[in-house]
Amino acid sequence: MNLNTHAGTRLFPQMTGLVIALVVLPVVMRPIIAADICVFAIAAMALNLIFGYTGMLSFGQATFFGVGAYVGGLLLIHVTQNLYLALLIGTCAGALTAAVVGYLCIQRVGIYFIMLTFAFNQLFYFIAFKWTTLTGGDDGLPGVPRPPVALASLEFTLDSSLKYYTFVAIAFFLLFYVMKRIVESPLGMICQSIRENPDRAAAVGYNVQLYRWVVFTIAGAFTGFAGVLYAMMYGIVPVEAIFWITSGDIVFMVLIGGIGNLYGPLVGAMVLRWLSETLSVMWNRWPLLSGLFFIIVVLFLRGGCVEILERLREAWGKLELRRKEASYGIAADREAD
Amino acid sequence: MERLTRRHVIHLGATAATAATVAMPAFLRAQSNPVVMLGVWPFTGGLADSGPHLDNGMKLAIEEWGGEVIGRPIKYITRDSETRAGAVTRRVEEAIDSEQVKFVIGPWSSGVALAVAEVARRRKVFHYFSGGTEDISGKRCHRYSFQWAASPYTAAHIVVDEYMKRHPEAKRWYLFVWDYAFGWSVEKYIKIAGKPHHIDFVGTDRMPVGTRESSGFLTKAAASQPDVLCLVTAVQDFIIQVREAHNFGLAPKTAIVQPWGLGVEELAHIDVQYRQNLWTGTNGYYANPNPIADTFTEAHQKKFGLPPGYAAVAAYGMTRLVLRAIERAKSAEPADVVRAFEGWETEDWPGKVRVNAETHQTERNYFFLRCKAKDEMQHPHDYSEVVALRSTPLMPAEFNECKGLGSF
Amino acid sequence: MFITLLAGALLNGIVTGMVYAMLGIGLSLILGLLNIPNFAQGVLYAIGGYFLFSIGQALFGFWVGVLIAPFGVAAVGGLIEYVGVRRLYGVHPDYILLLTFGLALVFTELMILIWGPVGITVFPPKLLTGGVNLGVTFYPKYRLAIMGLTIALVFGVWLFVEKTKYGAIIRAGIEDRDMVNALGINIHRVFTVTFAAGAGLAGLAGALIAPIQGLHPSMGIVILPFAFVVVVVGGLGSIPGAILGGLLVGVVQSVMTIIWTPGADIVVFAAMALVLLLRPQGLLGKR
Repeated sequence: MNLNTHAGTRLFPQMTGLVIALVVLPVVMRPIIAADICVFAIAAMALNLIFGYTGMLSFGQATFFGVGAYVGGLLLIHVTQNLYLALLIGTCAGALTAAVVGYLCIQRVGIYFIMLTFAFNQLFYFIAFKWTTLTGGDDGLPGVPRPPVALASLEFTLDSSLKYYTFVAIAFFLLFYVMKRIVESPLGMICQSIRENPDRAAAVGYNVQLYRWVVFTIAGAFTGFAGVLYAMMYGIVPVEAIFWITSGDIVFMVLIGGIGNLYGPLVGAMVLRWLSETLSVMWNRWPLLSGLFFIIVVLFLRGGCVEILERLREAWGKLELRRKEASYGIAADREAD
Repeated sequence: MERLTRRHVIHLGATAATAATVAMPAFLRAQSNPVVMLGVWPFTGGLADSGPHLDNGMKLAIEEWGGEVIGRPIKYITRDSETRAGAVTRRVEEAIDSEQVKFVIGPWSSGVALAVAEVARRRKVFHYFSGGTEDISGKRCHRYSFQWAASPYTAAHIVVDEYMKRHPEAKRWYLFVWDYAFGWSVEKYIKIAGKPHHIDFVGTDRMPVGTRESSGFLTKAAASQPDVLCLVTAVQDFIIQVREAHNFGLAPKTAIVQPWGLGVEELAHIDVQYRQNLWTGTNGYYANPNPIADTFTEAHQKKFGLPPGYAAVAAYGMTRLVLRAIERAKSAEPADVVRAFEGWETEDWPGKVRVNAETHQTERNYFFLRCKAKDEMQHPHDYSEVVALRSTPLMPAEFNECKGLGSF
Repeated sequence: MFITLLAGALLNGIVTGMVYAMLGIGLSLILGLLNIPNFAQGVLYAIGGYFLFSIGQALFGFWVGVLIAPFGVAAVGGLIEYVGVRRLYGVHPDYILLLTFGLALVFTELMILIWGPVGITVFPPKLLTGGVNLGVTFYPKYRLAIMGLTIALVFGVWLFVEKTKYGAIIRAGIEDRDMVNALGINIHRVFTVTFAAGAGLAGLAGALIAPIQGLHPSMGIVILPFAFVVVVVGGLGSIPGAILGGLLVGVVQSVMTIIWTPGADIVVFAAMALVLLLRPQGLLGKR
């Protein structure tokens, strides 16, 4: 696992890399898919916080994603056209759910914790599935509008996929920055120490349970926010949004991207969605390939794509060095003296 | 500075490669100008059994038409709906973006249809659907979506009225209902149709699609001693429920009535002994006395060895009407085809057909069938006797929840 | 009339409960001994059903199929452990979980590739079609047969684990893995065999339930959460626990269906959460 102990990682020294990626994304993929990537990247960032940095594997993030999506969706359909309000309340719903569920789940550790998150996920799923008058059940909740964004005295409509992507990308960028600050703050350091050795952290005087709970709740907030964005993206909240396989997908993205690395979630979301987009049109059974890729990552490349890129970079670097040595040869030696 | 350059190169190289892969198909496509029609069929998921039948039906319709309409080639593409709202929304949007789809036929599941209708409205593409939910021509109606199947109001009345005509003493009905849009609409109208007959609906159990474990429900049903077990379910679930009803001793003593089924596509999978006292309603049974239906039955039988069921017929019927409408409008622009549809009165697979201009509901015949005993069958696919075939009663205005189709 | 209803519901609950129990025992053994929640347990169950279909229906008949299918799945399980899980023992246990999750997805797709996406009907043997009048209610023969069979099998497994030497090794391994290793027993072989056995039990469960529920590629994904409930409620690493858990889940689901249908699944997962919070070792678990 990559340890992100200093401000700024080795791979992307500046945020400019991120900005370039976000600008290029809708050119390389359909804008709606690019938006999908950013939305899930937010949820994956949240999981990365509790799994990559704090060592808690939650197999139930879809709970908060779904709660955010349903709450946001219902608000936009029945109550308000204020985008900010819907986002705020959806986020709070996610945070609140995570606070309650998290409080209960952190009472246990290890596999018990994982299974608790899983159990709660299923509980919420079946409630959403059966409460058809509220959520539409298996049919999903259709008709979620995309109200315009109000900024200062201006109003931006989000009617096209590209416009929606721009909005989502900006949201992602801002949230990324927030996550970066969290991770690089003392809170982030403490979380990593909890991941490494909870007993030692407790011995040093940190309230391990409190930190775990806070971090879980923060992750729930991020995930709830992502849920609201998801509801507006396709205008429908399908029940899969709260199903355990979606929790698995989010884990998938974090692993494939590179766990414990700030950029991992985005890379993971990109890779998974890109695979999905290009492969699904060619072969209906494409999840087989992404599943195999996931297994390979778990078995051999636990650092994910970030690790792959790092190794590529190292290899390139070695190549460069050898090239330099070859061409400058004696001069390099002389300089070293 | 060096590091930035190297990373940039990898980054840009990858970008260029992907951009090329994405752009290439668009370049190739620019050569012809086909009319692109999308069949959204379930190839995986709870209704996957029907996927291939739907695909076949639409293919046959296009073949029959010579693969061309208003002088342009027809391009038929499919996308797997997976019977999941999230997946289908993504797939249909993608197809519209990358293939310039203008006509969407399907999906098969009523629940998923609501999602597709949303996309159709947003992206302004023509959408034709056949299913049991009244919402497409009701609550969620809009200018671009049309419903090919008979209204569940009509279907329910035909089924209940015809059954009660023959069994006026069968007052106790127990319902199994698929717990989503399709089931809700059909259940609602069965109960409304049952009122004048003083039917006592002794129990209603809702269950999700894919309920293979129906023992609990059957036990409950048996305990209520119904005269009729009314299964508002279909495909695999229905097949298993019929079989288990026999195993649990409920049938054939208790009649099984399926108000909205697939006909051949289900009956072919139910052993003849389990088809005793089985009554089904459907939008598409092949024993349909009109030349268009006969031609299709022949073609389907020849190609697939089996007469068509509701799924194949629906895909065929919808595609035919769309192609005919395109010819009528002399245009393949969705808005023009919509106008050609509204108020159209014609003859097609179902017989006489009228497209209601206010709701986009098709007014057409519905079948009520009685399964034949072994010694009544004149050939291996002679599953049922057509007990009733008509298009009335039409849904009265007070049930209509379509508040206006809106503009283009 | 209510007696008929209740009798029927109880019987149904026991039938599904015993199948859950078998699935749960397999999962519990793997969880107890190797400390991994095997997310692939569901698909192994599904594969058992499909193997029964291919071997039984297509080739040699139901009885042969039911005999061979579990061994086939056990072989798959052993392979998974040997080729995949084994590599991850030194690494964080979370990764083994993730491996099994990845396998669940991959196997689901493989099932669609091999057997198609459409649900498959499996017929019970001719001998067991139809029903029998039990006085209090009419009940299908096949379900009664499964009930008897699973009770016998589960008892057999319990006997094996409680009374045989190999069973003792497994129990010891669940209690203290390192000690077993220190005693000179090849713990790795024990792991492989246990994983295979756990898989085999899942496969058997799937094969037995196939004629009742039919086969569907997503059945593995759908059943997995329920397998976890069984194990959590009953107790990790405890066979009597898995039996108890299975029966409880089966009966509760069945009875809830006749009282408040939407609640059936909700109650089951609420119970799981409750047990995890109040008594994480389960009703009969030891740790």
